Order: sequence, then C-alpha cells, then structure tokens
Amino acid sequence: MVIFLVLNGRARRRSFAALLVLCTTTNWAADWPADAMVDTRFPMRTLIPKVVVDSGKLEWVPHDIDLTAFVTPSHLDLRPTPKPQKAVYTPPLNGDAKRGRSLVMDARAAACVTCHEVPGEQWPGNVGPSLHRYKMQQRTAAELYQQIFDVRVNLPQAVMPPFGTMGILSDQDIRDIVACLQTCE
Amino acid sequence: MWIQWILALVLSAGAVAAEPVYRERVADEGLIVPRASGDSALSGTYRYWKNPAKLDARLIGDPENNWKLNWVFLDGPFNTDMHAGHLALDRGTKLFRELNTSGTFKNCLTGSGLGIRKDFDRLRGLRTVFPRYRTDLNRVAGLEEVIEHCARLERQELQMGSHDNSAVSMFIASYSNGMPIAIDVSGGEMKKSYERGKQLFFTKMGRLNLACASCHVNKVGAFMRATAITSPYADADHYPVYRDRTGITSLQLRFAQCSLVLGINPLKMGSRSYTDLEVFFTALTNGHPVSVPSERY
Ligand code: HEC
Ligand code: HEC
Repeated sequence: MVIFLVLNGRARRRSFAALLVLCTTTNWAADWPADAMVDTRFPMRTLIPKVVVDSGKLEWVPHDIDLTAFVTPSHLDLRPTPKPQKAVYTPPLNGDAKRGRSLVMDARAAACVTCHEVPGEQWPGNVGPSLHRYKMQQRTAAELYQQIFDVRVNLPQAVMPPFGTMGILSDQDIRDIVACLQTCE
Repeated sequence: MWIQWILALVLSAGAVAAEPVYRERVADEGLIVPRASGDSALSGTYRYWKNPAKLDARLIGDPENNWKLNWVFLDGPFNTDMHAGHLALDRGTKLFRELNTSGTFKNCLTGSGLGIRKDFDRLRGLRTVFPRYRTDLNRVAGLEEVIEHCARLERQELQMGSHDNSAVSMFIASYSNGMPIAIDVSGGEMKKSYERGKQLFFTKMGRLNLACASCHVNKVGAFMRATAITSPYADADHYPVYRDRTGITSLQLRFAQCSLVLGINPLKMGSRSYTDLEVFFTALTNGHPVSVPSERY
C-alpha cells in the first residue's frame, strides 16, 4: 500500500488497473469455486443432481434456493467462514410468540424442530436439548437472542447453526422465536 | 513499465499467504481410524453389525434402535424386496457386455500394465481396492471415475453419478460381494488423499455452518425427526445404492445430496474434494464386506 501511494499519478493509475485486473481474474474472495455446480442463467444459480433412469448422463436442475454464497468443501474455495458475531439486541422484545412457533415448526424457515423436542410435535429431533417447558428455564431475552443469533460467541464448539450471522433469520424472526421459547409450556 | 504489475502481484500474493482462510473445525479427529472396527470407539455399535450374517432380529424389529445395525438389514440376504437396485444390476450387466465386446474395457478397468496387481485379470475383488492411484490418470480415482474414463475410450459416455455409470459400477461390485473392502491409505498419494478427506469431514461449511463430523461424529444415534444419524463407518460397502427418494446413487452423488441438507452448493462429480471424501469413507469401511444391490432411505 505504501509503495502504491508513493508512485506518481500515472504509475499509480496503472498499478490500480493491475490490481483491478487481478481482483477480477483470480478466484477472489467473493466467488464460488470453479468446481461448484452453478448456472448463472437461473435466478437461484445453484444446481442439484437428478438421476435419469437408463441414461449415461447425470442431469443437473435448478435448486429452489441460492447456495452460491456459502463455503463449500472444494479445495479451490478460498472464502472464509463467517466469524462468531455478538448480536446487537435492544429491548423491549416485541415478539409475536404465535408467529415464532410457526417459524420453529416450519422446515423451510428455522426448522428448530429438526433438532429439538418442541411441545406438540410428534416427530421432533433430539440432536439438541429438549425445548419442552422451556419457560421454566427463565432465560432472559438477551441470552436467548444470542443463542439463536450466534451461540459460538459463548460456546466455540457449538453444533447449533448461527442463524443470525448466516442471515437465515431476521431480527424480527429471532424476537418472535424468543417470545415463543419464553412461553413454551 | 511492468514494475507496477509485478508489485501488484507480489502484494496480493503476500496478502493471501499472510492470512490463511478462516475456517472452524470440529475436534475429536483422533477418534477416527481407517477401518470399520474403529466404530467401536465412536458409536459403540460395531458389535451389532460387524458380522452381517449374524444380525440380531430383535433390533431389526425395533424402530427406536434398529439404526444400531447400521442399516445392514437393508442389504441382501435380509432385504428380499425386488427394488430398483436389482434392475440396475441387470442393466449394468448388459452395458458391461456391450462395452467389453473387444475386451479392452475390462483391461482398462483392471489396469493391466498400469502398475496394478496382476491378479486383477478378472473382476473378482476389483471393487475392494478402489479408490486407488491410477498411473494412466496420474491421480487417485474412484471406480466410477475409472468407469467414465474407460467407457470414453470405447466412445461411450457414462458420466459419474449417472444411472448407467452406477449400474456398471454395481455390476463390477457384485463380483466382490462378501469380500472385505481393502484400500491402503498408509502412504503415498492415497494417504495424502485420505488426510485431505478427513480434514474436509471435520471442517464447518455451508449455510448452517455444520461439518459432516458435527453430526456423524458428535451426534451419532441422535434423531433428526424420524431419521437417526448413522456412524460414518462401513458406508462405502453398499454403494452404488438404491434410494427411494433419489434413485440409483453413487457415493459421490450422496455427498452432493447430504450437502444440500447443510446448505452447501453441490460440486462436480469427480472434483478432487469429493474424491478425497470418497477415499476417506472407503477407508472407514476397510474390513467390511461389499454388498450390492442394496437399498437405503
Ligand atoms: C442442527 C441442529 C440444531 C438446529 C437446527 C437448532 N438447534 Fe438449538 N441446539 C442444538 C444443539 C446441538 C444445542 C446444544 C449446544 C450446541 O452444541 O450447540 C442447542 C441448544 C439450543 C438452546 C439452549 C438449550 C439449553 O438451555 O441448554 C436453545 C434455546 C436452542 N438450541 C434453540 C433453538 C432454536 C430456537 C432453533 C431454531 C431457530 C434451534 N435451536 C435450531 C442444535 C440445533
Ligand atoms: C445435520 C446432520 C448431518 C450432517 C451435518 C451431515 N449428515 Fe450425512 N446424514 C445425516 C442423516 C440424518 C443421514 C441419514 C441416515 C442414514 O441414512 O444413514 C445421513 C446419511 C449420510 C450418508 C449415507 C450413509 C449410508 O449408509 O448410506 C452419507 C454417505 C453421508 N450422510 C455423508 C455426509 C457428508 C459427506 C457430510 C458432510 C458434507 C454429512 N453427511 C453431513 C445427517 C447429517
């Protein structure tokens, strides 16, 4: 950077151009790796495999969610994992427990029920602790907000996904789920 | 004149080298060893499924606990269903005969003169030694990658992961039914590939920031709704497998499917990382017998 600044105007412009070329031609931080199945002609870009019976070709069809922004197992993937992030929570909670419950149950939204036992669900998961009668835990809204937003801040080896940091749940989504947990009988 | 370009190159290369990419890893790598019996120290269920001929019928009938058999009861001879795996095996038999009319397809597979053991002049046991280093490809390759390569030499397209590639793979594997998987990851390129695969298995990725090991090491036996999370040991022996949700499925195709659950963009079949994962999973199956055609959910 220092060398860059001491160069005269013309040289500076040229080295800036060189940097720009480098940024756009190399596998820069924002790009998915070359071996990811992606087709930018589709709005969701991510492709998923589909086996066609009695065919020597594997078909790739558009997925219903765009996954191009997230780290893959490719050796060519140079993008970092998002670091643990402290949530910015401002009271009052203003959560809608009823909406929170539907997020907790919905496989397309938070899908907490995939991993946690939740009242009224016949086939819950047990990857994480039970959330049955969670009201009794009396955990504060701020604590629960951080738990859902990104628990790695308090528990570096956590299994539970950081729903806030990864942009899966919005601020209001998390408030509604916290309200649900605080009233879980 | 060119000094700025060189400077820019050096500076940016320096920036990349100085700051390694931030990644989170799951601990407990020491728990994993490259043989199926290693499961004793992980899920502790090895004793229930190590001998596929002696499965406990009481466990099979118990939906809370039948995962402890590592789903081996979905393999023959326990599974007598006439599922699509059998049709694929028939298809594979027919395709293999067509591809091998001159005998060159089989020679390519067994690698005569390529530094592979001479006794593989027949198909028997061939499945148990893949993935392996192939001098003709100059890299470690799984059986399905070699099938694609050898079929191309016969002017046929059999893409990895396609139904017909898996059908041929299943036909070849059927000659090894009952024989234990035996790949050597103790040195050379195979060891490097195994270590890379292991590293990937323990690295967090995707939209949910989970590693394969988050579930398949730390949470084996836990339920995700109605599905139990299984041991990563002894998975490779029953592939390519018939799955009622996705059809005939090669191991690499299964990686793409599992990664969708985690919000990871699938990779190309035959990508180096999928091959490394295939080596890793196959090494964790060492000592457990091949069983095709099989079925899984
Ligand atoms: C992939 C599995 C998974 C999903 C999905 C998941 N969790 Fe968790 N959760 C866990 C695990 C495992 C723990 C235990 C701590 C750890 O290892 O992260 C946990 C811990 C918790 C705790 C703390 C429990 C206690 O008091 O000790 C709460 C509260 C919680 N989760 C709520 C939720 C909510 C709400 C959602 C949905 C937005 C959710 N979880 C989604 C796996 C999951
Ligand atoms: C959130 C939990 C979770 C994570 C993380 C996960 N899996 Fe799975 N996996 C499962 C479940 C549940 C099954 C279904 C159980 C079964 O069929 O054995 C499964 C099944 C599999 C199977 C099939 C096993 C068989 O015997 O046929 C393979 C192979 C597999 N996973 C590989 C992976 C890989 C590779 C990764 C990482 C990219 C991964 N899994 C990450 C939950 C998970």
